[in-house]
Amino acid sequence: MNVSPPITRKGPGAARIGIGGPVGSGKTALIEALIPVFKARGIEIAVVTNDLVTKEDARRLQAGGLIDPDRVLAVEAGACPHTVIREDPTLNIAAADDLEAAFPGLDLIIIESGGDNLASTFSLDLVDWWMFVIDVAQGDDIPRKRGPGIVQSDLLVINKLDLAPHVFVDAAAILAEARQIRGDAPVIGCRARGATVEGIDQIADTIARELLFQDIPA
Amino acid sequence: MQMITDILGPAADYHDALHRLDHRHAVDVLRLPRADLARRRLRAISEGGREIALALPREVQLYDGAVLAIDEDSALVVRVETERWLRLAARNGAVALKLGYFCGNLHWRVRFEGEELLVALEQEDRLYHDRLAPMIAAGEVMVLPDRESQPA
Repeated sequence: MNVSPPITRKGPGAARIGIGGPVGSGKTALIEALIPVFKARGIEIAVVTNDLVTKEDARRLQAGGLIDPDRVLAVEAGACPHTVIREDPTLNIAAADDLEAAFPGLDLIIIESGGDNLASTFSLDLVDWWMFVIDVAQGDDIPRKRGPGIVQSDLLVINKLDLAPHVFVDAAAILAEARQIRGDAPVIGCRARGATVEGIDQIADTIARELLFQDIPA
Repeated sequence: MQMITDILGPAADYHDALHRLDHRHAVDVLRLPRADLARRRLRAISEGGREIALALPREVQLYDGAVLAIDEDSALVVRVETERWLRLAARNGAVALKLGYFCGNLHWRVRFEGEELLVALEQEDRLYHDRLAPMIAAGEVMVLPDRESQPA
């Protein structure tokens, strides 16, 4: 049989996922909610944050006591947050590479984009899979406005479900409309902060199943 | 679940072995949309019903005909789904400039074929037609019949 000699490579390394979405939709809060869930499951993680001209989100995670501060790196995105996750993700790739070199046992690197608009998407050179986070308080018309973030993401997360009655939004209706717009692609509603959280285990399950290939039913 | 962590090489490098296995219906296909070729990690079902977990090194890229596994009894090869294209013609040069700008602004992937512009249909067809509707209604842009041939 004509079989080439085996190729020696470094191996696949940690899975890299992106979290994008508008300003204030709860991307950092979602990471804060996911960290203890991953920790409890023995999944080793690190985080790269993107802010416009500060390291605000990285400092928040580093100060929160949920994760070793050395496992959090900040990228300052400048005026165009989508540029550093899509057109030229070099800075974020370098940050993820640095984390992987510093922590060789990592299973997962989470790359949080700066807050952006509905057109924001991730380059698959940077991440293996990405989710887009919106929240009910932005209005119940956000899913039907579509936009690449809404329709192209691997997972759409609708956050702050608990706020729905206070902003005159029907949570069940916005979830149903988002699912109708995305067809087979998943949508998960969640509440990332507060006395009780909701949907976080389901998001962690999706990541563990799709990226870490754990045997978790869909 | 079968874990794949590297690409063995192009199908051409395994021509004879694949030919023999194909006669025994032992070549399984992992068929992917073109957009998924950029992924290093994914979970998918092959045409033969095998559950595949793909975790490639970051410097490795999938391609049509990539051999993922092969032995005396079976092989697994990547095949890319046929792409569908929306074929457009502009009424004049000014409209062509406008159409080109419009498609770029929406991040649509395009190809050029003579005086025709082809847009890759990567989402619901309706999304493309809805965006183009004003230019089509104004007679500025014409949707041409689909042809069997794919752009080069």
